[in-house]
Amino acid sequence: MTVPQGLDAVDQLGPGDHACRSFTGAADLAAAVVPFLDQGRRRDEQLLLVGPARSALLTALAALPHRDELLADGRLDLQVTGDSYSAGGVLAPHEQVERYRRATQAALDGGRTGLRVAADVTELLRGGRSGRRLLHAYEQLADELMGTLPLTALCLYDASVGPDALGPVAVLHPLQSLGDRPALAHLSGRGPVLSLHGEVDLTEAAYVATALVDVAGEVPGEVVLDLSDLAFLDVAGARALAGAARELAGRGTSLRLTGASHGVRRCLDLFGLDPSGPGGERA
Amino acid sequence: MTRMRPTGDWDGTRLAHEGFVFSADAQVVERVVPFVLEGFRRDEPVLVVAGERVRWLLAEHLGTDLGRLTVFAAAETWWRGGHGTLQAYDRDLRALRATTPSWRLAAEPTWLAREDGREWSRFEAVANRCYDAMPYYSLCLHDARRLPADVLAAVDRSHPLTWSGTAPAPGPAYEDPAAFLRSVQPAWTARPAHAGVATVTAPVQGRRAISAAVPADRRARLGDVVLATHELLANALRVAAFAELATWMDGDTFVVEVSDGGPGLPDETLGYVPPDPERGSGGMWLAWSLADDAAVRSGPAGTAVRLYFGAPFRP
Repeated sequence: MTVPQGLDAVDQLGPGDHACRSFTGAADLAAAVVPFLDQGRRRDEQLLLVGPARSALLTALAALPHRDELLADGRLDLQVTGDSYSAGGVLAPHEQVERYRRATQAALDGGRTGLRVAADVTELLRGGRSGRRLLHAYEQLADELMGTLPLTALCLYDASVGPDALGPVAVLHPLQSLGDRPALAHLSGRGPVLSLHGEVDLTEAAYVATALVDVAGEVPGEVVLDLSDLAFLDVAGARALAGAARELAGRGTSLRLTGASHGVRRCLDLFGLDPSGPGGERA
Repeated sequence: MTRMRPTGDWDGTRLAHEGFVFSADAQVVERVVPFVLEGFRRDEPVLVVAGERVRWLLAEHLGTDLGRLTVFAAAETWWRGGHGTLQAYDRDLRALRATTPSWRLAAEPTWLAREDGREWSRFEAVANRCYDAMPYYSLCLHDARRLPADVLAAVDRSHPLTWSGTAPAPGPAYEDPAAFLRSVQPAWTARPAHAGVATVTAPVQGRRAISAAVPADRRARLGDVVLATHELLANALRVAAFAELATWMDGDTFVVEVSDGGPGLPDETLGYVPPDPERGSGGMWLAWSLADDAAVRSGPAGTAVRLYFGAPFRP
């Protein structure tokens, strides 16, 4: 997938899909999770719904066909965000991704065709800057995992946290549905290097930069960002990438840009970012 | 006889910008050699970028002192279009400023003799504003035997200083940079009735609209047109809730107009000001550099900017 896509219908999602959807209120949450999980039931997948409180999860699934049977025979699990994501109070990205890997394997071993997760992880966005940094690193690792296993995920975020909190986490998803906001940019970790897809303009620039710093900052040494699928970059986007490169340099990570098209290069050049040279940034 | 003062009262704290026009070799030697030697006496870096004849004259008269020049370069290879040339020059200026308190430059923009080099006058005009705080003396050399009359007139209009014979003096024909630009930009004709018009409230919507508006035979430069138009729209939408995007063909030229009801460009010269990597927008510079020409109209009702993409398009 080279361009981030809007999410028209959650029941169309299949293995490998990783979608971000914002919601406003309990009814909207239910409208997203019911068709998503019902599709998983038809596909004979193991189902998991994660959210802040068990009672609210049961309510959200009131309209799910065969809800109680699914719960009774273990094909549907409900988990509370705090228990499943941050047992020690803090999200541990690598451990959490490992947990999903094992859960997917367990589902396959149990005769299911895969694992399907809908998770309201808004709580993880409320952990301040350091909490969000972990969440961003986690979403990227989870996206990589989904590229390799029959795992389907719908990440749900309460729209009331605001666009500045939602922006960076959304760009880490190949599929995005954020109310009126079009899906423009996607920072992907699937593949040998990080890659930027779609369009980065002034409306997305700060989100992409934040996500990039949090994801690339996990890796000491050199991080390569492939721009060959980036269809559009404006001056504001190039300035944000230059800022991200400086911030990463301050943490000992050097960002190297590759694959920029002619137009993308024109913008990078204004900020001394050289997409062909080693280190990515000229003095 | 009055003693010659090659830089007059210039104290090395800010830009001095002189347009010197010569029509004989002896005039070059009389003006430039003392200018260079004064720089050596003051321990200032002295840079010379000039055409072959001027370089040959300096080499002959400076002798072994030629080796003391910080830069002694051929102007013939410098031209990369107005924006490309100034962007490279701008990097050199910033590097100099970081390392030396003041310097002096004798430069002969030989490309003013080329048809496509004449836009350089606009950059010379805007330099008076954007390089005002740069601590250097720029002595710009122009050969009246090679340059047409309108280019020589533009030299007088874009350089605040001229040469009196013994010292620099205020040029009587010097104009404000914005007024100079307005006088040389394409004439502002009425928008034709057949123009396609769209109201734009978000940059991404504007990109889709301009993409669709570029005629089929002009799509080789689609990326340039979309990026330049986007930067105009992004700038307009910073100050206004919506902007109007209009496009039409004027003969062989594809014209893009972005207008808004906001206060608009605070400075009409922005399209000729090199972006500062540390701050500033850079969007107007990029838009102007991607287009073949640009024009601005600013008034109480708002601001309109036109970009012209001529034929044949570059491949």
